[in-house]
Amino acid sequence: MHAARNIALCTKDCVCLFVCPTGATDTENGQIDFSKCLSGCRLCVDACPSHAIYLVSSNYPKPQKKETEVKDSLFDLAASKVKQESMAKALASESDDPVFRQLCKSVAMSNHIMAEDCYREAGYILPQSDAVRSLLKDLLAKEEGKADFPADAVRKLLEKL
Amino acid sequence: MEDDMREMTHGELAAMCTNLQKACSKQLRSEEAQLFGLLAAFYEEGREKQEGCGYQDLLDTINEDLASGYQRANAVASKNQDRGSLRALVWGEKVSKLLKSLLVRYEKQKNSLLDGTNVYVCEICGFVYVGEQPPAICPICKVPSFKIQAVQKEAI
Ligand code: SF4
Ligand code: SF4
Repeated sequence: MHAARNIALCTKDCVCLFVCPTGATDTENGQIDFSKCLSGCRLCVDACPSHAIYLVSSNYPKPQKKETEVKDSLFDLAASKVKQESMAKALASESDDPVFRQLCKSVAMSNHIMAEDCYREAGYILPQSDAVRSLLKDLLAKEEGKADFPADAVRKLLEKL
Repeated sequence: MEDDMREMTHGELAAMCTNLQKACSKQLRSEEAQLFGLLAAFYEEGREKQEGCGYQDLLDTINEDLASGYQRANAVASKNQDRGSLRALVWGEKVSKLLKSLLVRYEKQKNSLLDGTNVYVCEICGFVYVGEQPPAICPICKVPSFKIQAVQKEAI
């Protein structure tokens, strides 16, 4: 668990600078230096007058179980949204009208976001979950060796998550 | 374990990976976010093309979701009392209806629908807004307007 700062709320009053025993709060980029933050300390969280500091967990509980039929119906919807995203992208790429392209691009973005939300609710909300690990392992097994497949990125993710 | 994982297309995996990328960013895990970003880019590159599809094909697919996709998913989510999924379905159905009406209006009004005004997309739920200024909060998911992004008109 380490402290993190919501830059949008921080008024730069600097009370957190006074209370931090390690200087983790005093950085040039506005964010807290996680490597210096003491797990479980939270002095700055309680001291901040703007409620700008919160704690980020390192371990999360297992996500709620998703029933297979719920997951399936969300995957079906996501597939349809992705198809619409691809259609909108194709329509945009085949047109040279900036206004029509703007419309198609918006439709594509919107569908991409809806697809993401379906996956989130289908049990892929937490990157550290078993579901995501087994997906990454499957992808690695399947695509390893294919040109441009970022196998090292997947291995690193499996290590870090 | 999820050994019954179904086959996913490249386009679907691109959306899956950007979802996980965003989830890592929210936890301030920037390195992991960047790695998911690489994976998303790989799948985006390989996205199955829908070349030659027409405007009507797009409308037909939205209509299918509205006629049956949401009904099916809603029935299953209600039966399992899965409130999170019901939430996603409520937002998604509203956004889909809105997209449909936008596409239908565009068919009639053509570019005059968007000329001289802006288009915005809510990063959280996909709500699309046509007008000068985005609303202060998203009418569908209620996030503040800084999460509602302008989409530019770009010449090629
Ligand atoms: S105490 Fe809070 S408001 Fe003040 S500098 Fe620290 S984070 Fe910002
Ligand atoms: S939680 Fe403690 S160690 Fe970490 S930044 Fe805040 S005051 Fe410093």
